[in-house]
Amino acid sequence: MLALLPSWVDPTAHYIIHEGLTNTLKMAAAAITASVVIGIPFGTLLTVNFWPTRALIRAYVEIWRGLPLIVTILMVYFVGPDYIPGFEPRAIYAAAIGLSLWGSAQVAEATRGAVQSIPRQQHEAAAALGFGWVGRHTYVILPQALRRLLPPLVTLLVGIIQNTTLAAVIGGAELAGTGQRQIERLGAYPPIGLGQIKALEIYGAIMIAFFCISFPLTRLAAYLERRLV
Amino acid sequence: MPLAFDWSFFSEYWHPLLWGFIRTLEVSAIAIAMAFVIGALGGAARAYRIPVVSQVAAVYVEIIRCTPILLQIFFLFYGLPELGIVLTPFTVAWLSVGIWGGAYNIENFRAGFLAVPNGLREAAFALGFSRLAVFFNVGLPLGARISLPSSINTYIAVVKNTALVYAISYNELTTVALNINAVTLRNEPFLVLGVVYLTLVWSLSYVLRLVERRLMVPESA
Repeated sequence: MLALLPSWVDPTAHYIIHEGLTNTLKMAAAAITASVVIGIPFGTLLTVNFWPTRALIRAYVEIWRGLPLIVTILMVYFVGPDYIPGFEPRAIYAAAIGLSLWGSAQVAEATRGAVQSIPRQQHEAAAALGFGWVGRHTYVILPQALRRLLPPLVTLLVGIIQNTTLAAVIGGAELAGTGQRQIERLGAYPPIGLGQIKALEIYGAIMIAFFCISFPLTRLAAYLERRLV
Repeated sequence: MPLAFDWSFFSEYWHPLLWGFIRTLEVSAIAIAMAFVIGALGGAARAYRIPVVSQVAAVYVEIIRCTPILLQIFFLFYGLPELGIVLTPFTVAWLSVGIWGGAYNIENFRAGFLAVPNGLREAAFALGFSRLAVFFNVGLPLGARISLPSSINTYIAVVKNTALVYAISYNELTTVALNINAVTLRNEPFLVLGVVYLTLVWSLSYVLRLVERRLMVPESA
């Protein structure tokens, strides 16, 4: 099948898949992991009636949810190095950090809702069995809350995968960024490129790739929503 | 090294920043209006299963929701000229964000229309209203109000997404701030960006929640 395509397609696709897709998946994996690891404790702490922690976490959640993600990423990339010694992130790391700040805020808010949706009797029953606050949440409340959290987490994963493209704006070599580079290369005159703009084909192909990743995940989220809630 | 904030910066650059902010509001307003119209029409087509239009709307929703908006912007701005369609950055700005918001809004409105009790529509039909009259007098007023909480989230996301047109250098707030940063190497533009966007998003969501409470359908509470 590849033989039917023009000869510029193979090296272009090879670069976009090996460099771009790999970086996109790495960023998405790092960001969703960080979002869950930070977001679930933060969200659980939001349900605790102690105003200083609540105010701090509330501020964290509202700031990173309120800022446009691209602004967060630009801030991490351009402002971060001025204030954190030794922090000179590559574009895809800066974008992954921005995605994690945004994602963890989303997870915290969803976790708060899920924890609060667990009936009060579950807390009381666990307390009656002698569990402290930590044991009660680790063994009784959070396992039940996680079931309700699963559909929004899959939806968030779709959001994170799609928003990895924002790294292209600061020069990251993920799917959109590698596509951009290949379009620029092909736009150059031979022998480097073709002297033709192939933006329609390359961006179109990358959009199809994103569709093939995102569509099944959105179906999965809808299925989990029906099954688990 | 941490840079001290220099307030004289604002007296020098408030003018381009203000214009950038105005352009952000302009793009947001056009895109929100577009999202409302696409959402109401497409949502109605989906909810009332209008043949062909309903299927087209469903495909449109899936394509937009399953591809990154940044690539949609690149596609419109860099891809379409290959077909002879050259759009200005301003057109791409409102068009891309409006198309994006419209797709999300179709789902919001569809859910809203489906939540309108069937008895109300049947009563209107029994009174001799035509299909169109039932839609404008029963379906739309109630459905739009029921879908308001989720539509509001979409409108706020639309406002935030206007920042993405920085990627095609449309001179809205983010682009202006980043250009000033590039020239002055100072961090104040980022402070301005953060404060303006948070103020805009928070106050917009506060006002829209007030509107939502005011327009809430009593029985749905």
